[in-house]
Amino acid sequence: MKKVLSPLFIVAVLALIPYVGVEYAGLDYLFGVVIPYMAAGVLVLGVAYRLVDWLRRPVPYTITSTCGQEKSLDWIRQDRIESPSKRWHAVVRVLSEVLFFRSLFRNNKAELRKGPDLVYGSHKWLWLAGLVFHWSLLVIVLRHARFFYYALPWPIGIIEGVDRFLDVTVPALYITDITVLLGVSYLVFRRLQDAKMRILSLQTDYFPLFLIIGIVLAGISMRYVTKVDVMPVKSLAMGLTEFSLEPPERIGALFYVHLFLVCSLAIYFPFSKLMHMGAIFISPTRIMLNNSREKQHKNPWNTPIRFRTYTEYEEEFRDKMKKAGIPVEKE
Amino acid sequence: MRKNILMSAWIALALLLAVGIFMQQESGAGTEPSATASGKSESTSCVYPKEFMKSHHMQVLDEWRHDSVREGDRIHVTPDGREFEKSLNTCLDCHSRNKMFCFMCHQYANVKPTCWNCHLSPMEVTK
Repeated sequence: MKKVLSPLFIVAVLALIPYVGVEYAGLDYLFGVVIPYMAAGVLVLGVAYRLVDWLRRPVPYTITSTCGQEKSLDWIRQDRIESPSKRWHAVVRVLSEVLFFRSLFRNNKAELRKGPDLVYGSHKWLWLAGLVFHWSLLVIVLRHARFFYYALPWPIGIIEGVDRFLDVTVPALYITDITVLLGVSYLVFRRLQDAKMRILSLQTDYFPLFLIIGIVLAGISMRYVTKVDVMPVKSLAMGLTEFSLEPPERIGALFYVHLFLVCSLAIYFPFSKLMHMGAIFISPTRIMLNNSREKQHKNPWNTPIRFRTYTEYEEEFRDKMKKAGIPVEKE
Repeated sequence: MRKNILMSAWIALALLLAVGIFMQQESGAGTEPSATASGKSESTSCVYPKEFMKSHHMQVLDEWRHDSVREGDRIHVTPDGREFEKSLNTCLDCHSRNKMFCFMCHQYANVKPTCWNCHLSPMEVTK
């Protein structure tokens, strides 16, 4: 239980810090300008550092993970996406992973039934909730572009239009606000509901979930319930994009809770499992080609070996070999 | 088993019917809108404090729309006793003096109000 409660407690404290800081200590500048720049710096540099670090690791041989027919004789049909042999096959594979969580679709579940029977079955809920959650987050992040542009780029306008098309409540209800909550709730529920998952789950699994729930709740409440004047928020956001150091105008404390939790997430990001966002694009088991029978893969850290061919050997010892009566290839 | 399903289907149907009739009645029982409020307001201050209106004006407008269109309650009484007609025109009486009043902020914040889907916006009115 401690594994669940301690991250919850940390998120609660994180949410309280900016509230107290802005409401009682007047630290608008710290929470509105200093910390966001710092967080953005940590996020960008940290993610870049980790990706470069991973990319520099030599890969000794093809370690692609496959679950399909490798490219073989002409009359054997190759499973091009499961066992890619061309670059674009691998690209399709990675993209289907990124966009549709293809491998998670194969997720299954083992359950001990009465009998006792161990039963395996397809289990798509994680796939579905994960997909809903991630896509909602993406749409929500893109939607926030309206704070960072004077004129909204048209693709984001379309996304926003679709997102609010139900046209209920004022301000218009965003569908993704609901779906992200549903998704993240399932992801938490999944870890709590099953004894096996409870053992497997660590603080680092719950913390980002709770943090995101905190961010989402603060954001939703700011939009629909405890309203915040959006003008100073916009001017602060515009200022941040222009690297200005102007102090923000007065904004409700809830905004700073939202912002500070986002900053916490950004700072936490490069040090955590959230790096799967970048790692999925460079994961060797996903991006490599299964062509080890077509091409030789050299281990990059092999030291060069000096070979001596028989021709060179014979060149050196021909005379001696002739004297000793040993047959030579070239007279 | 089959009997149970049949039973629940009947109950569900009955419930649906009851709800339908109830809804019918409610929508029929709406009172006629009475436009008794004075057209032009002579007030110099808004229906709510400025700070509140900055963040909540859309909710106030939504409430007003609901009250006047659905409930027929068209009079808004401020805490200090002034009366206003719950209408977008009440807002525009003062605020359309500056044609850009709505648009300055809304454009800046990239927020599209749905008001002008039906109402004429101050930009479209020739004065």
